[in-house]
Amino acid sequence: MTTISESIPQSNVNGRVSWATVKKVLSYGILFLLALTFIYPFLLAIATSFKTLPEINQNPVSLIPQVVTLEGYQRLLTFNVPRWTLNSALVAVSITLGNLLFASLGGYALARIRFPGSKAVFLGILGTMMIPGIVLLIPMFIVLKALGFVDTYAGLIMPKLITAFSIFLMKQFFESVPRELEEAARIDGASPLQIFFRVVLPTAKPALVALIIFSFQGAWNDFMHPLIVITVNQQLFTLPLGLALLRGGMGQNLQWNSLMAGSMLTTLPMAIVFFVFQRYFIEGISYSGIKG
Amino acid sequence: MTVATGIRGEDRQNAVAGWLFMTPTILIFSVFVIIPIIAAVYFSMTDWNGISPPAEATFIGLDNYKTILTQPGIRQTDFFTALKNTTYFALGVVPMQTIISLLLAVVVNQSLLRFKSFFRTTYYFPSITSSVAISLMFLFFYQKSGLVNQILSTLTFGAWEPIAWMADPRGLIHIALSWFGLTIQTAPDFLTQTSLFGVPLWSWISGPSVALTGIMIMNTWTTIGTMMIIFLAALQDIPNFVYEAAQIDGASAWSQFRRITLPMLRPTMFFVVTLGLIGTYQVFDQIYVMSSGGPAKTTLTIAYLVYRNGFNNSQMGLGAAIAILLFIIIFALTMIQRRITGSEAAV
Amino acid sequence: MNKRLLTLWVLLLVGILIAACGGGGSTTPEPTAAPEMTEAATAVEEATTEPVATEPAGEASGDVIQLQLMGWASSDAENTRLQEMIDNFNSANSDVQAQLLLVPDYDTKLQTSLAGGAPPDVFYIDSFKLPDFVAANAIAPIGDELENVDDFYPNLRDAFTLDGTLYCPPKDFSTLALEYNKDMFDAAGLDYPTADWTWDDLRNAAEALTDSDNGVYGMVLSADMARWIAFLYQAGGTVTNADSTSMTLDSPEAKEAMDFYVGLVQDGYAAQPADLDSGWPGEAFGKQKAAMAMEGNWIIPFLQDQFPDVNFDVVELPAGPGGKATMSFTVCYGVPANAAHHDASVRLVNFLTGSEGMKAWTDLGLAMPTRASLRDTWLEKFPNLEPFLNGAEYSHPWQFQPGFQDVLDTVNSGLQEAFTGLTTTDQVLQNAQEVGTEVLNR
Repeated sequence: MTTISESIPQSNVNGRVSWATVKKVLSYGILFLLALTFIYPFLLAIATSFKTLPEINQNPVSLIPQVVTLEGYQRLLTFNVPRWTLNSALVAVSITLGNLLFASLGGYALARIRFPGSKAVFLGILGTMMIPGIVLLIPMFIVLKALGFVDTYAGLIMPKLITAFSIFLMKQFFESVPRELEEAARIDGASPLQIFFRVVLPTAKPALVALIIFSFQGAWNDFMHPLIVITVNQQLFTLPLGLALLRGGMGQNLQWNSLMAGSMLTTLPMAIVFFVFQRYFIEGISYSGIKG
Repeated sequence: MTVATGIRGEDRQNAVAGWLFMTPTILIFSVFVIIPIIAAVYFSMTDWNGISPPAEATFIGLDNYKTILTQPGIRQTDFFTALKNTTYFALGVVPMQTIISLLLAVVVNQSLLRFKSFFRTTYYFPSITSSVAISLMFLFFYQKSGLVNQILSTLTFGAWEPIAWMADPRGLIHIALSWFGLTIQTAPDFLTQTSLFGVPLWSWISGPSVALTGIMIMNTWTTIGTMMIIFLAALQDIPNFVYEAAQIDGASAWSQFRRITLPMLRPTMFFVVTLGLIGTYQVFDQIYVMSSGGPAKTTLTIAYLVYRNGFNNSQMGLGAAIAILLFIIIFALTMIQRRITGSEAAV
Repeated sequence: MNKRLLTLWVLLLVGILIAACGGGGSTTPEPTAAPEMTEAATAVEEATTEPVATEPAGEASGDVIQLQLMGWASSDAENTRLQEMIDNFNSANSDVQAQLLLVPDYDTKLQTSLAGGAPPDVFYIDSFKLPDFVAANAIAPIGDELENVDDFYPNLRDAFTLDGTLYCPPKDFSTLALEYNKDMFDAAGLDYPTADWTWDDLRNAAEALTDSDNGVYGMVLSADMARWIAFLYQAGGTVTNADSTSMTLDSPEAKEAMDFYVGLVQDGYAAQPADLDSGWPGEAFGKQKAAMAMEGNWIIPFLQDQFPDVNFDVVELPAGPGGKATMSFTVCYGVPANAAHHDASVRLVNFLTGSEGMKAWTDLGLAMPTRASLRDTWLEKFPNLEPFLNGAEYSHPWQFQPGFQDVLDTVNSGLQEAFTGLTTTDQVLQNAQEVGTEVLNR
């Protein structure tokens, strides 16, 4: 490999090759550097979860603990973590399934089916995203209370079964899908529901994967909604809610190691979900390749 | 059942199918989203404190809106300070995150790229890493002797004066102006003495403060991954044959990107920019965790002001009015950008 | 064909809605019912072996009154102690069973419950928030129903008194004192601070201890009204007049206090936490980048846990031109207005704040007793905390008028700008005076 300055006087063919190599090495270098900055806080969180409190203060950003301690994880044992995890999983999976079905239906209708009022419905749904959720907390609680949903799984799940974000995502996605396939099916006399389930959904894999990832993540990390749903029955605490107790409400004596140990509990399952599903982005390529 | 003519029959089928497909969404939304929103609109016209049951609040018409928009005082000043800060925030973050994430998505979508899964996964990591861990790390990095200052110092051969980022209320534009000798002491009177909506002109042109810039960088960094995934999913769905045709015509990579990729991504672009506008104009979490609106109210954002009024200062009615104003602002901006990105026809 | 698919779709939709609703048991509200355990929850319940002491009993238990005490989580030791005390209360009372609910994001949660018409029976109230709760008619005044009220320090009663009515009893309190680093004083050859220090002594020591080339300052000060206000009172100033009808931040005393506080930073003898690579003053003190800090007793467990090597001690705050003064920060047990079980709730409050309860609660040496009668026995056990406890005699409560958050924000923001030279102390006080006047006239 040669440096840029050396490559310039060389012959045309040679110069092009080595310039390409330099470019390649440079781009990979940049990509890896970026990757490092993006994963660093996660590695730091792992390292911090094994550090002692005095060391965290002395050496906050080092990735290798001088003394490895489990005190952060031991503190977690005093909490009902298994129960919180189960709750979170149950809630997140239900919400993901709901969004998967309802958002693809709604998104498809808004993108493709010309029905009266579709524009107004879409702008209405979009508009609901534009009001800061913090003012809706108390009205939401009142609604939940009227329905008897306070302190129930239904209260945790039902309001989130479909989100404006999901429907917006799917609508915009379906708009970028070429119409040809559906038109062909329509000419063959298929109904909208048939077209949707047999023709459209199978092509929507990449978007559905994105939807799974986002829905699961949103539900898994949600804090505010469970906070207002659960008042008395703390058995229903989800992971983010329970782990927030690690912080305490007042005072600055934060136990960073157990905080980070707790954050591992929320991050790792999410990372697994992402690892599993991001593979389908690659499969998506081959599908659309065959299709094309 | 009557036999409909061809076109009308199709219209009808479409109407039935469309509304049928929307039914679950509309049901759930009416109960859990629309009712609370209607309540919030009503609250914005009351003097509700957010502590006693809302039925006890007095209806005061548009007084809250008048207080915020026309009545000089701390509540007006705070709202327009927050509007200023939030707008600088959006102006910085939305373009940055959109461009970088599109770039990354195109790169990790290259069929020739190696370690594709590795890059995709790591770029997505900030989205799933605990936000507390991320805030903690950035707070360390932004310290006076932290990494950011060290890097800047190295890059400038020691000319860089270390600053405590998160405690620095100076605006970026103010700093730039000071290089030309223009400070609050030397600025002409019309800048420092004239106020618009309770905020002096001089403050309007401050630019984002150093502290706010720090949060902007962090926010961009954490959202890139999500935006990248959205672009990636959309890129996957552009059929290969479109590119193959262009390649046969001998189009360069750049012209393929401009003439095929970008137009095909238009709905996604609208999505990402709209999400960006909504996300930035509602920025709350990072402010709540990292700065609580300080230093000197330069990271006070509209959504944080809503929280502040509703839950710290028992003026939930006023907070709701601010929230409705925020809704109007975001909605207007979305409509404008819909025009600009040309998504109007599609929407 | 079409119809079959349609039927299928409707069935699917209904199925999902039922499945989701099924989780909720009944959808009809039952006002007094304990939360229903859902099928799924019961299944999970059986799966986890963890015993749950505080599981709410069902309606079947007859006339037993269920109480909920809502608070925020503090240290693990304190959380455990409070749970033990609740357990003791429950075994001593067969007709009342209390449940401790420690919740994250306390303000949001509490307000949602109150405004939603489902208030907890007893809950924490910070003295700063009390005026807002009283203005909202959200809490019942239970001062007359408390055990031995006169035993509470008068300053702490004042913190929960509005217009002559005592609303709730202080559960514990903290005061500000001066923490100093003994090693750094020794290195500078200075005598340790004493309780009779004046502002001049403080300033001179801060100057002598400062070594800014090495990033070490005599003191760490934050742009925080909750710290500056101690100097305001020491200067003989006040925030408002006695009946809280007008602001008094335009007084010469306020100016003197502001000049002194900001001057320490402007002259380079004190620095803000951020300039010392720290998030708050305690951290800067722990990192030994400042020789003195002005914090409450919460700094003690923090330093013990996170900076065990720091050799420090505590002394009362110096006196200013107007004499001695410090701030007390305190929280009470409030009972909501129109409470469903008022008498039982008051019984719980009395159990927790009576002599016995107060002794049990403060026995950890973390929170300080609000009852003067416990002073001597407590100090025997925790003599090193005496400077904090002494503050109870001359402290001022952290309590103003409804809506004072705006004044607090204005002063904090102004201090920050004054520290960095972006504004003058006169301007800060003028702004605070104006905003305060606006708030008082609302």
